[in-house]
Amino acid sequence: MALPARQDEAPADPSGGADTEAALLAAFAAGDRHAAAELTRRLGGKTFGLALRLLGNPAEAEDVAQDAMLRLWRVAPNWRAGEARVSTWLYRVTVNLATDRRRRARGGTTPLEAIDEPEDGAPGAAQRMIAAERGEALQAALMQLPERQRQAVVLRHIEELGNPEIAEVMEISTEAVESLTARGKRALTAILAGRRAELGYDDD
Amino acid sequence: MTERDLEGAGLEALFAQARSAPPELPAGLASRMLADAARMQADRARGGVARGWRAQLAEAIGGWFGVGGLATACAAGLWMGLAPPDGLDPVSAFQTQASYDLFEVSDISLALAEDN
Repeated sequence: MALPARQDEAPADPSGGADTEAALLAAFAAGDRHAAAELTRRLGGKTFGLALRLLGNPAEAEDVAQDAMLRLWRVAPNWRAGEARVSTWLYRVTVNLATDRRRRARGGTTPLEAIDEPEDGAPGAAQRMIAAERGEALQAALMQLPERQRQAVVLRHIEELGNPEIAEVMEISTEAVESLTARGKRALTAILAGRRAELGYDDD
Repeated sequence: MTERDLEGAGLEALFAQARSAPPELPAGLASRMLADAARMQADRARGGVARGWRAQLAEAIGGWFGVGGLATACAAGLWMGLAPPDGLDPVSAFQTQASYDLFEVSDISLALAEDN
C-alpha cells in the first residue's frame, strides 16, 4: 500500500486507518482544514494510483482522482460512521468514474506515460531499464483485459484488497471476484508470454 | 516446476514490482484536491452547500444592481446637464430667482427706512 510506514507510526490508531479516516472526515465536515490535508495525504495518492492503473493515462487519472475526492468532500457532512470504510467507498467511486470515462472514450488509444524513464548513466541503469519495461509491459497487458477483469486484478494484486472488500467496491459477489481475478490472471499470463525474452525473464 | 508455474511466478514478480513503487500523488493534483476541500468548507461555513448557490446568486444580482444603479445615476446626471428638460433652465431660473430676491431685500430695507 502507498503509506504503510506512516500508518505504523501512528500509535493512537493501532486498529488501522479506517476509524481514523472516518474521524478525519467528521473533522473535515466540522470545518477542520488540517483534516482535509491529512485525508488528501492518506487517500489522495491511493485514489490517483488506482485511477492510473485502471485508465493507463496520467492526465485522465488526475481528473478522475480529483473528481473522486471532490465527491468525498461533498458527502462528508452526511457520512454515517460504521456504514462503510472511507477508503472502500472512495475505491468504489474511483472505479465507477474510471469506467464512465473509458466508456465515453471507447475506441480511443491509451497512451502509456505512467512509467518513469530510467535516468541515463545512473548506477544499475540497465536493471532499472528492465524494471521500467516490465512495469510498462504489465500496464500494457492490463489495458488489454476486459474492464471488470482489470478492475478485479488491480484491486486484488496491486492494491492488495481482500475479496470481500473487492466485492463491496465492485458491487458483485465474492465468487464473481474470484472468477474475474482468475480469468484476468490467465489472460495476463498469455499476453505477457510473448514478451518474456525481451523483459529479461530468460536470464532470471 | 512446470512452465505454467514459471509464468505465474513472472506475473507475481510484476505485481510485486508494481506494489513496491506506487505512483506518487502529483503536487499539482494534491493542491487542486485541497482547493476543492477549502471551497467546500467555505461554502458550508456560509450556511450550507444547498443555500450556498442561492446566496451567491443573490450576491451576484445585488452586485450588478449596485453597479447598474450607479451607472444609471451618472448617465442621468450627464444627460440632464447636456439636455435639460423643458421648464428647467438652470441658469435663467437661478438668475430670475436671484433678481427677485434682490427686489425683496430692497423692499424690506425701504420699509425699514420708512419706519424709521
